Amino acid sequence: MSRKAARRIFWAACLLLCLAGFLVSLLTGPVRTTPGDLIRFVGSPDAVRSAIFLDLRLSRAVLAFLVGAALALSGAVLQGYFRNPMADPFVVGVSSGASLGAVVAAALGFEAAAFGFSGPGLLAFLSGLGIVSLVYALSLRRGGFKVETILLTGIAAGALASALTSFFLFMRSDSYDQAVFWLLGSFQLAEWGQAATIAPWVALCLVAAVWLARDMDLLALGDETAQALGCPVRRVRKAFLAMSALLAALAVAVSGVIGFVGLVVPHWVRILIGPAHRPLFLASALAGGTFLLYCDLLARNLLAAELPIGVITAAVGAPFFLYLLHKKR
Amino acid sequence: MKLGGQRNGDMSRRSVSPILSVIVAALVFLVPAYLLPGHQERRHVPAGHVPFPSAAAVAQDITDDLGRPFTRPGRAPERIVSMAPNVTEILFAIGLGGRVAGVTRFCDYPPEARRLPRIGGLVDPNIEIVRSLDPDLVIAFRGNPLRLVERIGKLGLPVFVLDIGAGLEDLPPLVARIGRITGTEARAGELAAELRDRIQAVDAALKGTASRPKVFVMLYGQGLWTCGGESYLDDVIARAGGTNVASALPKKWALYKRERIIRDDPDIVFILTRSTADFEAGRAWLAGMAGIGAVSAVRSGRVYGLDEDAASRFGPRLVDVLDRMAALLHPERFGGEP
Repeated sequence: MSRKAARRIFWAACLLLCLAGFLVSLLTGPVRTTPGDLIRFVGSPDAVRSAIFLDLRLSRAVLAFLVGAALALSGAVLQGYFRNPMADPFVVGVSSGASLGAVVAAALGFEAAAFGFSGPGLLAFLSGLGIVSLVYALSLRRGGFKVETILLTGIAAGALASALTSFFLFMRSDSYDQAVFWLLGSFQLAEWGQAATIAPWVALCLVAAVWLARDMDLLALGDETAQALGCPVRRVRKAFLAMSALLAALAVAVSGVIGFVGLVVPHWVRILIGPAHRPLFLASALAGGTFLLYCDLLARNLLAAELPIGVITAAVGAPFFLYLLHKKR
Repeated sequence: MKLGGQRNGDMSRRSVSPILSVIVAALVFLVPAYLLPGHQERRHVPAGHVPFPSAAAVAQDITDDLGRPFTRPGRAPERIVSMAPNVTEILFAIGLGGRVAGVTRFCDYPPEARRLPRIGGLVDPNIEIVRSLDPDLVIAFRGNPLRLVERIGKLGLPVFVLDIGAGLEDLPPLVARIGRITGTEARAGELAAELRDRIQAVDAALKGTASRPKVFVMLYGQGLWTCGGESYLDDVIARAGGTNVASALPKKWALYKRERIIRDDPDIVFILTRSTADFEAGRAWLAGMAGIGAVSAVRSGRVYGLDEDAASRFGPRLVDVLDRMAALLHPERFGGEP
């Protein structure tokens, strides 16, 4: 099969799966609903069905899709940025930093909601971006800017943030449900306000990433080569780092830390459609959103009680990832 | 290309970290989202507060235990969702059993409550199921995750959140408040008065007792899990004429140390269990621990069972626990061993 045909199949399959995912999300849940119910609801909406279909299920599906797209795009950007397939939002410390902010806010009872975020969500967002700034500043101070330095600084800062998070959780053992939410993620509390808050940013970052994708292709040849070919390396690098940090911080702020999406989705996509960054960014966003949509379906329907979504993303993502890697060899 | 050049020119002027600029930009650009009508509504109308336009609406406002105003519906609620077992017990006790539309899976008392639709557990109630029951009143408890309760309020359902009491004196007012929000003041007032009388009767019976036996309470199956000074059971023990040995622990519930029990030497041990078999197993487990056999309570055989559900739910049956505890601690005042 030609690469072009393979790409077409990939896009068609992704779109189809995505639409099917939204439909299934609307129809499944602890309250039994049939397609007939949905059709009747469209004909004559009532308060209960409206709340269940639109306010609870659709808002949740949309938020899951947006967060999945944000995480996968952030991961795709970082993997290109570091020229390292192990990179994901955890590596630069965004996720750990954001969860630290959330847990501190929860432990201190910081509830002031703003910008569509809860109090902990807002602090998660700010501390996620804060820790990346810190990592970046520390890396710069060591004379010049090296990818290895920022990678290692990020890992160290992330580890420190994780340790502090555990400390706060240990001190406040009564906020267990909050702890699970921030450490493993959930869309149980999804609402339209959150989707409306992050949607413009995810869209903006996607457009920017696609726009700068050619420069990312050049970076893959090495910074010197890219510079020689006319790529403003430092500026492009800054823009990509800021973009990936923003995406990951937004995701954590509304849904807690959801692992694996940022790591595996770009890999799947790269295996399926190749390494060119423009289609890679677009496809990662679509595939990431679709993947998380299905993971959330499992999280809320697999058992009577809701599972943290981080459990599902890892359990589903890892084996599939291994399979694809193996097949590639 | 022209656009690209503009972008580069713009970026080269920056000297601060681009990520810091992103933070600033994010705050600036997030403001419009914040000003969306939906957000404003969410900000200014606390969850659970549902304005009733009806002229029949009672003007009298009540505040729930989170300090949020709650406007009482014009007519008594017909479909109540109870999010905690103690709330369910109180609702049934004031004759509202027929109007309860949903309960948690832990709501097993009175037995009729078991037949009602389940909304999930205490910490994992399902929002969708709550909404599908179409309640006109949701009574939540502080044991429910606050964020989940707020999400339910944002669906437009009237949510009233009750806090756990610090001591028995908070129980009659809790019953009375549930009566007020459900429009059953008379029946709830009677129950509140009855509970108050029974608590006072124990106080009166124990007036002037010189001894205050040392009490150790153990929740069977959780190691030496006991109630600390912040638990309402600490207050129940004090009112029953005893002294909780774990009273100094600044917690509601905590794991106690075996050495401390030996040092404290309690005169009487209460084991919270759900069945006689569990009680026997708990007593054997405790007596079998090294060093515990020498403790006064074990030596004298003053190890008794208490109904775990009655003791761990802040509801009417807590007064039964008080009666039993007082009679066991001071049999001389209550006409011999019960």
